[in-house]
Amino acid sequence: MIKIFTIVQKELCAYFKSPIACIVLVVTVSVFNIFFYMIIDQNREATLRDVFQVMEFMFVFLVPLFTMRVFAEEKSTGTMEFLMTTPTSNTAIVVGKYLGSFLFFSLIVSTTLVYYLVIEYFGHPDRAATATGILGLWLEGGLFVAVGVLASSWTRSQVIAAISSYAILFSLYFSITFSKYVSAPAQEFLQYFSTMTHAANFSVGVVAPGDVVYYLSGIFCCLFLARISVENRLWR
Amino acid sequence: MIVAQNLTKNFGKVEALKDISFEIGRGEIVGFLGKNGAGKTTLMRILASYLSPTSGKVLIAGKDIARHSLFARRNIGYLPETPPLYTNMTVREYLKFAARLKDIPPARLRPSVDKVMDDCRLRYVQNRLIANLSKGYKQRIGIAQAIINDPEILILDEPTSGLDPVQIQQVRKLMKDIEYKRTVLLSTHILSEIEQTARRILIVNRGKIIVDQSVKGLLGQYPGLTLEDIFLELNPPQAERADD
Ligand SMILES: Nc1ncnc2c1ncn2[C@@H]1O[C@H](COP(=O)(O)OP(=O)(O)OP(=O)(O)O)[C@@H](O)[C@H]1O
Ligand SMILES: [Mg+2]
Repeated sequence: MIKIFTIVQKELCAYFKSPIACIVLVVTVSVFNIFFYMIIDQNREATLRDVFQVMEFMFVFLVPLFTMRVFAEEKSTGTMEFLMTTPTSNTAIVVGKYLGSFLFFSLIVSTTLVYYLVIEYFGHPDRAATATGILGLWLEGGLFVAVGVLASSWTRSQVIAAISSYAILFSLYFSITFSKYVSAPAQEFLQYFSTMTHAANFSVGVVAPGDVVYYLSGIFCCLFLARISVENRLWR
Repeated sequence: MIVAQNLTKNFGKVEALKDISFEIGRGEIVGFLGKNGAGKTTLMRILASYLSPTSGKVLIAGKDIARHSLFARRNIGYLPETPPLYTNMTVREYLKFAARLKDIPPARLRPSVDKVMDDCRLRYVQNRLIANLSKGYKQRIGIAQAIINDPEILILDEPTSGLDPVQIQQVRKLMKDIEYKRTVLLSTHILSEIEQTARRILIVNRGKIIVDQSVKGLLGQYPGLTLEDIFLELNPPQAERADD
């Protein structure tokens, strides 16, 4: 639909005009550069596996910082009232907003291509593993962004939106570390539940359908819930 | 054109609207009056399908807006109480965005935006950031987005608040121009404005409609009194309560 595109465009413009997003972008890229240098300097290996792991960890903290505004800002400034009284379906609003944030996130991920070029120049990296690693990072970030969008649809306060996304992302990401304290079936569940398990497969070059399904269904689930929340004005 | 049937709206314990029913025909200009907190904004939000009523329903051109929400929204231009503006856009960008969301075909985007900027005298500021404009200009942009796609129905919540006398005159002229062609609902606290623009008055008090009459009829009912006197008579100040 054309309207989704219109909203995506507006969201992307909003990111580049807002100081927060630009700061996030600059800080992220510089921090990644430092880690890239440190990791490569330490390992002396032409692989991005550890770099990806650090990035994955950083995204847990970073993504909520730029997704918190997605709905919360519109609600606090009253533009939500405009958006929801134009003939635009709730699905188009949610999907458009998600894609806008996801594209912005993709921009951050695309900086890793430079790292790939660097190691390609100096060594012989495993190309397939690097490609799937980036794909995994990208899918995982897609899920993080969806969680951020969902949390933002619940409240008119950006701070509350950020805190609730942290709560969800932490439990998603770190659930694997709790798995040793619970019984076997729950352990399996926690392992499956954790995004870390799935990203690990990608970083060694394995693209299992199960992992892709995990991420895509997670994204779908979050967007579906966000749509319900927008439709029923649950933030009041 | 617009039929409201037994609308009620509760916000938790607050009963903002209590069993409101009315009918508004095509081409009518109706003014909503009422004290602060009477429920005018809530009622308009329901008609614009931003809020859903706790019970009751609204029909637009015979269709229930709960089920034909997109149809209703396509035919309604709505100006909320606070103009809903993206302050990081320029005036032109914002109006273009509004036009696209309101289904104006790409070929007609530019002429529509230009026309509405002329109507609302926004040409001069078209490339300025909305954040840096004065309140009156923001209000005018709000009006511009409401009328950009020439909707059948206009719902304007305090359209003239913050405008200078010249602009108020302009808005009134706009109302006169579209009279009989469009259905207009407006709320205001400026009683002379209602007298000049509206044909019919709905006075809301504590979520109930206490008067639904033509302006002439109401003035005729209380000979010798101005609209302001009548309003004060119907809404005595001592009736003010904590929940108002
Ligand atoms: N989101 C909300 N949550 C709780 N109560 C609300 C909400 N919106 C409105 N109300 C209550 O509903 C009642 C009607 O409010 P409304 O904004 O419709 O008044 P109004 O007639 O537009 O007043 P004004 O002339 O000040 O614009 C008030 O008592 C208000 O406190
Ligand atoms: Mg109001």
